[in-house]
Amino acid sequence: MPASRFTQTGNYRTKYQQDQTIFATYAEQLSLIVLIGLLLLLPLILPKTMLRDVNMIMIYAVAVIGLNITTGYTGLINIGQAAFMGVGAYATALAATRLNLPFFLAIPIGGLAGALVGTFVGLPSLRLKYLYLAVATLAFQIIFEWGVGHTPLLAQGGAISLPQVQVLGVKATFFNHNFVWYYLILPVLVVMGLLWRNVLRTKHGRSLIAVRDNDRAAAAMGINPGTAKIMAFMIGSFYAGIAGGLFAYFQKAVVIEDYGLHISIQLLAMAIVGGLGSLPGSFLGPLFIVALDRIVGSGSQWLGSLNIFPAGVDAATALRPLSFGLAIVLFLMFEPRGLANWWRLSRLYFKKWPYKF
Amino acid sequence: MDLLPQLLIAGVVIGSVYALAALGFVLIYKSSRVINFAHGQIIATGAFIAFALTQKGVNFWLAGLIAMLATFLLGMLIERVFLRRMVGEPIIAVIMVTIGLSSVIDGLIHLTPYGAGTFGFERPALLTGQGIELFGLPLSKTQIAGVLMALGLLGGFTYFFNKSTLGITMRAVADDQMAAMSVGTSVERVFALAWAAAGLTAAAAGVILGLMSGLTLGGLAGIGLKVFPVVILGGLDSVVGAIVGGMLIGILENLSAGYLDGIVPGGGTREVFPFIILIIVLLIRPYGLFGTKEIERV
Repeated sequence: MPASRFTQTGNYRTKYQQDQTIFATYAEQLSLIVLIGLLLLLPLILPKTMLRDVNMIMIYAVAVIGLNITTGYTGLINIGQAAFMGVGAYATALAATRLNLPFFLAIPIGGLAGALVGTFVGLPSLRLKYLYLAVATLAFQIIFEWGVGHTPLLAQGGAISLPQVQVLGVKATFFNHNFVWYYLILPVLVVMGLLWRNVLRTKHGRSLIAVRDNDRAAAAMGINPGTAKIMAFMIGSFYAGIAGGLFAYFQKAVVIEDYGLHISIQLLAMAIVGGLGSLPGSFLGPLFIVALDRIVGSGSQWLGSLNIFPAGVDAATALRPLSFGLAIVLFLMFEPRGLANWWRLSRLYFKKWPYKF
Repeated sequence: MDLLPQLLIAGVVIGSVYALAALGFVLIYKSSRVINFAHGQIIATGAFIAFALTQKGVNFWLAGLIAMLATFLLGMLIERVFLRRMVGEPIIAVIMVTIGLSSVIDGLIHLTPYGAGTFGFERPALLTGQGIELFGLPLSKTQIAGVLMALGLLGGFTYFFNKSTLGITMRAVADDQMAAMSVGTSVERVFALAWAAAGLTAAAAGVILGLMSGLTLGGLAGIGLKVFPVVILGGLDSVVGAIVGGMLIGILENLSAGYLDGIVPGGGTREVFPFIILIIVLLIRPYGLFGTKEIERV
């Protein structure tokens, strides 16, 4: 036991149980509580337009945690996470509009639908590795988009609008929509994050990492790599389904464009920029990508007003993919461990301050 | 009913473009094991360079050649600047670099006036006028010329791989990098050449497609996705597979459009049918028709 439970000056762990604790020190617990407290106050100071972006970041963070489970922790490349989100969103929309279920039942149904479809799509991972699996998930993404576009029940990809929700007597209206949803999304995100931290401590969570690092060695240790891979897809797409359900309510409607291939790529980019296989990275990645998009968006509005581009060129449509692509490429070339590594380094710096090492 | 032969011919016409596009994709994969998600964007770049030149009054054929040279250099540049650093990195990183590059090139094309809207090449004098009719299917001269150009290039590349020293070197590197290095082959040069050759064929595919069915960024870049069913069916590392797969996917997609569109509500099955084939091939025979059987099962 360290002398103080607030600071950790070294590794005093003598039992596996201690090694498995979520929080090493009280300080970590305390900082999480303070962080959540600050986040609870955030909507009171943020302007309304930014609150909308923060909500989007949090929803994407849920999906990116899921993607990190399949791609980051288990090493199965998934170019169809947005399609799993879409499955969840459409399941939620159907549950809410056809079965008239309240949102706190409809969103978990979305998650379960995502998990179900994810398990099915994950089946080829028993036979396929790496590139081939990536191509298979890409095909699923395209088949999903086409399938929705041809199903009358799903409005053929058009908008299915969802009812406004009522929580604790507060009815979400046009004016406080983002505000209400902020307080609904935040707990979900926190729970999903803690849930993943918890799963990671169990043998199931660690078996995923073992399969990623060397599936033959994992098999030799008594892990069934096939089961582990299917489980990774199931958990990952459950997260995506929950994110999709939240997104459906948050956007007040389900449209196929919100779950297209470009969103899948965006989610992958978020996971990579944040740092593959890292929980803080799953929050930092979406934050970075959405912030970049907004900054470039307003920057190109300004550039557009300068009239330096030839006629017929919209600065925003050009600079958005340009900056997005550059961000991915530069991160991969110069900081493959992503923003999570910066986060880790800066934490270390402050922990050890004023000593350098 | 002449429906079947008509569909087959239409399939061969579009299939030859797919084959040409897939050839470049396979070249890159065969030599350096990189899946290139930016291939569609390179195709679009080549096509728009050629189009911009014809707008400036350059002869169509010359413009096509210059565009091919330009994407030849672009391919080399991409390999040298981005992909060579990624050698030995995990597959996901390499894939994401090409996805990032596709986004960058997309943005760059949007910076030109060609990003939005539909354009068409002005037909060169040779290709104007009445075409021929095959089994009741009118084929324009541009379509015939497109198929002939594609087949010519495919034949030329096959010959190049089988006979020229450079082609044999490339095959040697694809076969066994270590062994090729030990006999004094420059692997880097082969990687660069593979990307350059891929760029060249991409521009050719783009120009031919632009000539046959007009130029839009979405349509041209979309070929980059259509390439996946082609190469998986043909085998990821087989040049012959790319050609056969291209033709097969072209034909199958036309057959599905001809026979399934009436049954499936909403139609448009040609968009999705190749990807269903892709899944089936992956489940039954992941290495494709002509690919090397190397996939591991766990």
